[in-house]
Formats: sequence, C-alpha cells, structure tokens
Amino acid sequence: MTGDYKAGKIESMDESSLIQTAQNGDLDSFNTLILHYQDAVFHTALRILSDEDSAEDAAQEAFISAFRSISSFRGGSFKAWLMRTVTNACYDELRRQKRRPTTPLEPETSDGEEMDSPKWLADPNMTPAEKSEADELEHAIQHCLNALPTDFRTVVVMADIQGMDYSEVAVAVHVPLGTIKSRLARARLRLRECLRSFEELLPSSFRLEGESNP
Amino acid sequence: MKNFKDIEQLSAYLDGQLNLSDSARLESRISSDPELASNLNDIRAARGILRKLPARKAPRNFTLTRKMVGLRPPVPQSYSFFRFSSAFATILLVFTFAANSLAPRLSSPAPGFAIGMGGGGAPEATEAPAATEAAAEMLPAAPSLEMPLAATEPPAANADLFATEAPLAPESTMLKEAETESALQDQARVKQEPFVPVTWQLSLLVIILISALIAFIINQNAKKKWS
Repeated sequence: MTGDYKAGKIESMDESSLIQTAQNGDLDSFNTLILHYQDAVFHTALRILSDEDSAEDAAQEAFISAFRSISSFRGGSFKAWLMRTVTNACYDELRRQKRRPTTPLEPETSDGEEMDSPKWLADPNMTPAEKSEADELEHAIQHCLNALPTDFRTVVVMADIQGMDYSEVAVAVHVPLGTIKSRLARARLRLRECLRSFEELLPSSFRLEGESNP
Repeated sequence: MKNFKDIEQLSAYLDGQLNLSDSARLESRISSDPELASNLNDIRAARGILRKLPARKAPRNFTLTRKMVGLRPPVPQSYSFFRFSSAFATILLVFTFAANSLAPRLSSPAPGFAIGMGGGGAPEATEAPAATEAAAEMLPAAPSLEMPLAATEPPAANADLFATEAPLAPESTMLKEAETESALQDQARVKQEPFVPVTWQLSLLVIILISALIAFIINQNAKKKWS
C-alpha cells in the first residue's frame, strides 16, 4: 500500500480536496499529504529534538495524531496545523526524555571513538571538503539551537529554517503574533551570540557577515 | 546593544512584518545610528546562517497503514444485526438457565412457614416439594409440633393407644401412604419439568451459533475486500 504513493503527487492535486477526503476517513488521501509534508515535518522534529531516532518517532506520532484529529482542521494553513501536531509530539518526547534521561549512542570510528561528523548526515553528492564544511556548520547551528529554550527553538526553527510566516508559526505554536515576534528576536540574538564562538570553525562562506538584503 | 524593543523591531523589519510607516521610521533611524545598523546586521547574519542550513530529508516514508490508525473495515448493516442477535440470544440463554435453577425455590414457601401452619403443611407440600423436604428435615428437631407426614411411625410410648384404635389404623395409614406417594410423584414430575423447556434452550443455542458464524463470515469478507 505504502509503495503506491508518490511524492510530489500533491502538486497536481488540490490540497483542500485531499484534506476533505481525508476528513471523511480516506487514508490514501492523507498519505498523499504525508508524502508532501514528511520532509518538513521530520526536519522540524530533528531540529527541535536534535536526535534522528526521536525525530522519526515524533514525526510518525504526529502523523498518526494528525489523521485522528483531522476533522478538527477548520481551514487555513494545513502546514501550520500539521506543524502544531509535530510541535506537540516533540514536546511530549522532550518531556519523556526529561523523565527518563538516556545516553545517546553515537556511532563510533574503527578506533572506538565517537564520530564528530556521523556519516549518515552527509549528502552523497558532496565533496569531502564540502561535507566537512556542512557537518561543522550543522553541528555548530544545532549546538546553538539546543542551547535555546524549547519555546524559542521551536519558533526559530519554524520561521527561519522552515520559512513559515509569523501567522503560520502563531497557529503552529498556539501563541499570539506578538509573542512570536518577541521570541524570534530573542532567539536570533542568542543564536548570534552563540555562533560567534564558532566563527573560526565555520567555513568562510558561513561567516557572520549578514545578507545583502532584508 | 540597543534595547529589546529595538531588537524586536529590527527582527520584524527583516521579515517584512512592519507596516510601511514603521518601516520608514526604522530605516531612517538605522541610517543615522551605526549601532542599530550593526544590530540589524547581526540579526540578519544569524537568520542567514539558519536559512543556509541544509534541509534534511525524511529517512523513510511516514505513510500510515489502517492498522496504525486503528481503522476497521466497513461492514454491511446485516453484520450488526447478526452480531446483536447473537449477543441477545446469549443473554436469553443465560436467563433461561438462571430461571430454571431459581424458579422452584422462588415458587415454594419458606420451611418455617410450612411447619407453623401445622396440619396445613401436607397439602401445601404436595404443591411445593422443597417445603415438604424441609419440613421433614425439621421434624426430629421439633417433636412438639404437629407432624402429619411423620405420623406413619408413632412413638413406642403411645403403643397402647394405637392398639385400641387398631381397626382404623390400617386404612388411615394406607390413605396417608397413598397421599405421600402421590405427593412424591408430583414432586418428581415438577422436578423433571424445568421452568424453561430444554428445547427452547437448544433453539437459543442454535440461534447463537448461526448468528455468530454469519457475523464472522461477513466480517472476514469485509476485511478481505478492504485489504
């Protein structure tokens, strides 16, 4: 059944009609929606939780929960609604981790040392230099994201990494627009301070020199 | 570092979230305030780095199966009918067993009551065997009470009295024996005939089995069609 779906199919179909049929209990329509949003959902969960396995679990939980409660979707941005479910799943996972802290199993090199840049993070099309650059950047950013309070992290992941607008983020995290503005500004400031300490590690193309246009 | 209100304005300005007049006011301040301009660059840089973060693809498909979401196959209305009839017949069957075991006890009077009524105990006993048995059991414990059924064996102390009434004794004893026999026969008949006949119970059992079987087949067919 799973193999019948093709990513990108949604582009040629009307999202609202898929949502409507999914609301009538049609699982196939909902699976088409999943294929369209699963990368964004997984990436968001990964940035919030900072762990691939937990992010997978949270994403799966989020989709199950979303299907069960899709009748409560009353229009607007489906992505924002879905992100809200993911955020809740991530918060549940973080609470679970707090209750039962575990030691993460990092992959090891042949010498038995933990790998700083796990191979699974790498894009196979990159050159070794690019891989190393990207890994360092990713680690630095994730480290700084982890240092943020969860609420700030969630907002900055949705706005700056997922590119959602303020109103979508407000729907996703269920707080007023003003709070989103405030959290985002604080999160960016803290990230800027944190990334300063990694400046010499970052490749030249990622130095904190700013963008040319707002 | 500027106050937080300014930082918030700069962040919103970068995202195009300020209205035109606020944007124009902020732009004029930025052009005249190097510190504000530096803060804007800092925030912009932080945002730029986050935006350059490579997007990670899902390691697998998260599509759902019906089992994962607990969906059940759509079954025809007849499924509900057969399921209900099976359940209803089961309840009825349980009731029939309960009725058969409780009915004889409920229809008989209490043992103490039968003894207290004295001579009236025997006629009632023919209608209610359980009471007769109980009364018979109580007799040795209460010898002062009238004992119509136990009179067939008079005590040895009254042997003379019975000897003087000898001509009457055989007839009366035979009559009483006949009555007792008849009462016992009635009792046995009542015992053999349950409150709810066995045929009814068997019918209910057949209904249960057939209904359950049909419901099961309908459900299996629906599952097959669904998958």
